[in-house]
Amino acid sequence: MSVPLSQMWTVAAYVLKQKLSGRERYPLVLMLEPLFRCNLTCAGCGKIQYPAQILKKHLTLEQCLKAVDECGAPVVSIPGGEPLMYPQIGELVDALVKRRKYVYLCTNALLLKEKLEQGVLEPSKYVSLSIHMDGLREEHDEAVCRDGVYDRAVEAIKEALRRGFRVTTNTTLFEGASPLRMREFFDEMMGLGVEGMMLSPGYSYAKAPDQEHFLRRGRTHDLFSKMLSNARKHWKFNQSPLFLQFLMGKRDYECTPWGNPTFNLFGWQRPCYLLQEGYAESFQELMESTRWERYGRKSGNEKCQDCMVHCGYEATAVDDTFSSWKGFRDTLVATITGKL
Amino acid sequence: MTLQDWVPEIGEFLTLAEVIDLAFDYRGNTTVVKVDGTEIEGYVFNRNREASEPVIEMFDAAGTGPIRIPYSEIRNIKFTGRDMAAGNSWQAWLERKEREKAEKAARLETGPA
Repeated sequence: MSVPLSQMWTVAAYVLKQKLSGRERYPLVLMLEPLFRCNLTCAGCGKIQYPAQILKKHLTLEQCLKAVDECGAPVVSIPGGEPLMYPQIGELVDALVKRRKYVYLCTNALLLKEKLEQGVLEPSKYVSLSIHMDGLREEHDEAVCRDGVYDRAVEAIKEALRRGFRVTTNTTLFEGASPLRMREFFDEMMGLGVEGMMLSPGYSYAKAPDQEHFLRRGRTHDLFSKMLSNARKHWKFNQSPLFLQFLMGKRDYECTPWGNPTFNLFGWQRPCYLLQEGYAESFQELMESTRWERYGRKSGNEKCQDCMVHCGYEATAVDDTFSSWKGFRDTLVATITGKL
Repeated sequence: MTLQDWVPEIGEFLTLAEVIDLAFDYRGNTTVVKVDGTEIEGYVFNRNREASEPVIEMFDAAGTGPIRIPYSEIRNIKFTGRDMAAGNSWQAWLERKEREKAEKAARLETGPA
């Protein structure tokens, strides 16, 4: 596994503090969406289908930082839309670093080289450029519905690494993904020198243009088992090994919908990053007034039945690490040996 | 299936609360018709049925907002704007790729001129 020690320590100390204080529900990663505008229209994305006046809007820097302070999570992920289209992205990342938040800037990298050349972002141990890569050239360009995106992303990754940035990749997998091609993809990414890779099955957004290729639970187990069994030693994953074991069907977890709370133009999204069932005005209101029992697999909510996405289950895996000696030992063993 | 251009008829078989839920789920602008006859066009991004006074929240067509309107002030909601989730970008992409593949195969079959 490839999460740097300082980040691991920060997250571990935070989770233990929550547990010792008896806090039943705590956020782990804030999903901060400063805008919905994007320069791609990917087939599996359900995030950007809004009328023009909404796509033109973005959060102010003050709104972003207020949300970060309200939430208190040690990690802030900045997805979108495309966050490099946010006019104050440099200032936002700087302010987060000053708050010692670990930042994942999730970008399709189309604008990355240009922004790096402009000096908009500075390398920091707190900042990881998380590049959207859904597979090798053919698969990625098909997933993002545009030719040439893979090559531009690779070029941007090389430039970011040359400038000393932490670079990770984030990959969403859909029905039809080939385990063998994905293993080639892992080799390719590690060959570029990225710090680690993040994987997740896609969520079947009702608003996404492509509805045919979202994975069902059994297929997710099958795909991830084939991809990750006998993982090569040089593959590094920037996520909880217990979460990857869950995707492989080796563990059964329940969703933690409050683990990755989402803030955007509309407020605090209920109940999670994927479902939009309403908005709260404050983080406290989100946590206290959301009917959490209505979500997750055990609730019987049909929208949750096939979901195995990181934003619901990675927080569960991290919590498991610190809930028992077995969880801690299993995490340690997988981290040291690289065996899943 | 899209609700674009639909003007609901609220009555025995369709309540205002149901129409508001559909408007909340709709990824396009709608026109909120108020009981005083005025209309506001915009995007309904939130609704709270469980509040002591149920309310919707929207950004108008110029992006101004959030504007809060109690359910009690709403007569109807018309689905006047384009449904942004009804696009076919992925289908168009697939069709173009298929066309390109067919053209490439045809060129190979014909051979160099």
